[in-house]
Amino acid sequence: MPRTLLLIFLFFAVFSAFGQKKYTISGIIKDKATGEQMIGATVRIKELPQNGTATNSYGFYSLSAPKGEYTLLFMYIGYETISQQVSLTKNQEINISLTSKAELSEVVINGNRPNNDNIVSPQMGVEKLNMAQINQVPVVFGEKDILKTLSLLPGVKSAGEANTGFYVRGGASDQNLILLDEATVYNASHFFGFFSTFNSDAIKDVSLYKGGMPAEYGGRLSSVLDIKMNEGNNKNYTAEGGIGLISSRIKVEGPIVQDKGSFMVSARRTYIDFFLKASSDSTIKGSSIYFYDINAKANYHFDNKNAIYLSGYFGKDVLALKNTFGTDWGNSTGTVRFNHIFNNRLFSNTSLVFSNYNYAVQSFQTDNIFKATSQITDFNLKEDLQYSAGSNHTLKFGLNVLHHTIAPGDITTSSTSSFNNKSIEKRYGFENAVYVSDEWKAGNKLTFLYGLRLSGLFLLGPGTFKTYDAAGNTITSTTYASGASVKNYLNLEPRFSAGYQLNDETSIKASYNRNTQNIHLLNNSTSATPTDLYVMSSNNIKPEIADQVSAGWFKNFKDNTYEFSAEIYYKWLQNQIDYKDGAQLIGNADVESLLTYGTGRAYGVELFLKKKYGHFNGWIGYTLSRTELKFPAINNGNYYPARQDRTHDLSVVGIYQLNKRWSFSSVFVYGTGNAVTYPTGKYNIGGLTTFSYSQRNGYRLPSSNRLDLGATLEGKQHKKYHSSWTFGIYNVYAYRDPYIITFRDSKTVPNTTEAVETSIFATRIPSVTWNFKF
Amino acid sequence: MKTTDFKYFVIVMNLALATACTKVVDLKLGNDTGKLVIEGNVTNKRGAQFIKLSRNVAFTATNTYPTVTGATVSVSDTTGKIFPFVEGPAGIYSINSMAGTAGRTYKMNIATNGSVYTASSQMPRAVKLDSITEKVDAFDKKNNRRQITVHFQDPAGTPNQYRFILTVNGVEVKRIFAFNDDFSDGRYVNLDLFQNDIDIIPGNTVTVEMQCVDKTIYTYWFTLMREGNGFGGGVAPSNPPTNIKPAALGYFSAHTTQSLILKVN
Repeated sequence: MPRTLLLIFLFFAVFSAFGQKKYTISGIIKDKATGEQMIGATVRIKELPQNGTATNSYGFYSLSAPKGEYTLLFMYIGYETISQQVSLTKNQEINISLTSKAELSEVVINGNRPNNDNIVSPQMGVEKLNMAQINQVPVVFGEKDILKTLSLLPGVKSAGEANTGFYVRGGASDQNLILLDEATVYNASHFFGFFSTFNSDAIKDVSLYKGGMPAEYGGRLSSVLDIKMNEGNNKNYTAEGGIGLISSRIKVEGPIVQDKGSFMVSARRTYIDFFLKASSDSTIKGSSIYFYDINAKANYHFDNKNAIYLSGYFGKDVLALKNTFGTDWGNSTGTVRFNHIFNNRLFSNTSLVFSNYNYAVQSFQTDNIFKATSQITDFNLKEDLQYSAGSNHTLKFGLNVLHHTIAPGDITTSSTSSFNNKSIEKRYGFENAVYVSDEWKAGNKLTFLYGLRLSGLFLLGPGTFKTYDAAGNTITSTTYASGASVKNYLNLEPRFSAGYQLNDETSIKASYNRNTQNIHLLNNSTSATPTDLYVMSSNNIKPEIADQVSAGWFKNFKDNTYEFSAEIYYKWLQNQIDYKDGAQLIGNADVESLLTYGTGRAYGVELFLKKKYGHFNGWIGYTLSRTELKFPAINNGNYYPARQDRTHDLSVVGIYQLNKRWSFSSVFVYGTGNAVTYPTGKYNIGGLTTFSYSQRNGYRLPSSNRLDLGATLEGKQHKKYHSSWTFGIYNVYAYRDPYIITFRDSKTVPNTTEAVETSIFATRIPSVTWNFKF
Repeated sequence: MKTTDFKYFVIVMNLALATACTKVVDLKLGNDTGKLVIEGNVTNKRGAQFIKLSRNVAFTATNTYPTVTGATVSVSDTTGKIFPFVEGPAGIYSINSMAGTAGRTYKMNIATNGSVYTASSQMPRAVKLDSITEKVDAFDKKNNRRQITVHFQDPAGTPNQYRFILTVNGVEVKRIFAFNDDFSDGRYVNLDLFQNDIDIIPGNTVTVEMQCVDKTIYTYWFTLMREGNGFGGGVAPSNPPTNIKPAALGYFSAHTTQSLILKVN
């Protein structure tokens, strides 16, 4: 089948070259005020409605049309549409700067016909978040948060209150690929998941692919969250920031060379620990509890054809109790990218990416001194090319060479410690891929986006690799030399989406995609503990595979002011991983002996209604879904609901702009409780009440619901500076959202047992943040 | 490090849940009751050894468990010697004077209601419990609460597994303490028995029993220890893996035992 696909592919690519003589218009679209390149801005030819395109991650677009007189439209949500007349007699370069409507201080957002990209594009299962909206959605402690806002979209479920983990279409939280300027972010949470690692000040664009995955992405089963940082203003120097209850943040940006290069540095830090210093208790006083993160980016455009981008992220969490123990963890990423425009049809980007996640757990007690560390380090070379082949085809192709080094655990101790020094062998491997895809406009109404990704995992020595029997005993043990091949897996991942436009405001779409995953998170804790352990596919662990089919109906109405979509999906999962009873994962050289493998299935319906413009905007998202797993060793080999199975999930988000200064927002969420395992009996062992279980995840936590409110007060206009206040109330009606239910001997009635429900925020939590910009 | 590591997470979770609050709730739970529960122990200490048979009950019932009477219960050792256990109080089967020998494998044999249950366990070599000490709990200095630490020399070169039972003024602390030497082989071990069930304060008398258990039994206790801490490490709780065949609730453990007493000042 892959060969056939490739042939079809080549056929169309070649075929398109023989059409009518066509000319190409290409260029870069930027924000007029900041010079930021705009991602996903639309370029349309008024006279040829099907001839549209969108800018790529670097603001580049290219489109072709036969000789003629045309009106070009350049559009982006929240920006003034520019229309420009061209007489197309030769290839042309048109660079455009769009003006934000906010800059025009217009309160009423209307006028131009909003675009219908969601109808025209064959891409489905994608969610794009507007940073302006993220900034208005109320969140706990007033810390605006990309991941928490994402979980308000259909098909995306929060892993729980105070948890930035998320589940996409039934996938586990490690089945999401989180990219920050192309670098993998392994642990996207601060402070055990209360906050995400993404400081929204530094973020320009957020896209989440939950189905119909484009071929340029791969490596995880469920989703790709592609986050792009701001480039920095290349016109003026600006500084902005905020002071909140939990943290403060600051961002500075400006030109390096006017219109040619810019930089952006954004940082934030929490200050709970400053309050600890005030404590009279010496232990608390000497304790640390904080996190910080820094985003930095710089770019330089040598000319219209060549540009270089540098970006980096560094974040760290520290939690320590004086003279007792401490733990710290953090991600760091770095990306160097080089853009080259070969000609008005061929765009190239080369990236060198570094990514690291590490953690340390330490004990400072004199007789128990130890320090345990673990880390994963990636180096990634990516080459991505985009070729506009005539007016009907846009090809993307590229390759990816990703080297992993995993240090599962190093323990260092003192001579008087209770613990030994221990070092678990590092693991090395390459995760490589080549891909090709084509967006083919097969007529006025029909568009295909199809492609193929070949991904491979190459596990390399040095090291000793074992195989295990079902009971976890070692069967064979083989030692490999440095660089020797231990195990290879190759997987072909077909990707296919089709969109058929019924009219200007209605389309239907369908997609199929296969995704594979070769890096697996082992962490048998549901809270975001820092002790994430990653393993590659190996002689014991096979690549995880997911096949997804989905179909959807997309309808815009009231002149594209409202967007409605209904999508259904079904997913088959293979080679899923769970743990045997009593599995101790940390610091275990034989961790692969503790794993057990199974399959899964996930299916559901997602309904989404969004009002994009106007004084009042927002959305309603509803998901009806099921996710089930099947492991021979669990639940007598029968299907059981995965922890992330959530039958109903509803989010309502409303934002209302009252006047120039006041805006209000509210969020309501409702969700079926997580699938959990409750006892079905009790007995006595060693004098202790012990519970017996007969079914995995056979019960549900009570459903959860919550209402949050927010308000923003913009300061009066000043020439030199601008300030605003953000107010929020989290959990307005102080609902006790159940977090966990535990079972114990009753504290009030002797000789009986009781179930105890714990809620994290059983109270309303107000917040206030002061924001400034100058 | 297992226990230590785990302890930290419990502490950290407690910190994280500082704003949390709890309430007792009524739940509709299923009933899968009347299942056989076997708790068999053979120790190296000469004296009566006990094997208890009972059945599990519904969560909503009181903590009284029906006994299983009229079973035929015996233990044999690798030398072929058979030790018959006789029923005293209902459901409690015992032998008056028996002492296990380290290194020997003991096999339990139970016939009840037409079914035969067996389990084997190898009694490990005894490791000396050196001492037990107390110190002020780092997390509760204000109330002068104490924390108990056990000290022993782990023998090098062999895997060793331990279980500790902590008793305060004659009341058993409702926590399970399981420890193995994966991270401590050959070390002099100082192990904190972290718990929040009973506040230990000056004037209390504390007893610590140390058992040296085999690997299977360690996994049994370790699983229960993790689940018993409420947060369960996030793992869906399950019945701990047992050495009884065919599977029943409970275990059969041949272990060494020794105790030390400490008066808290």
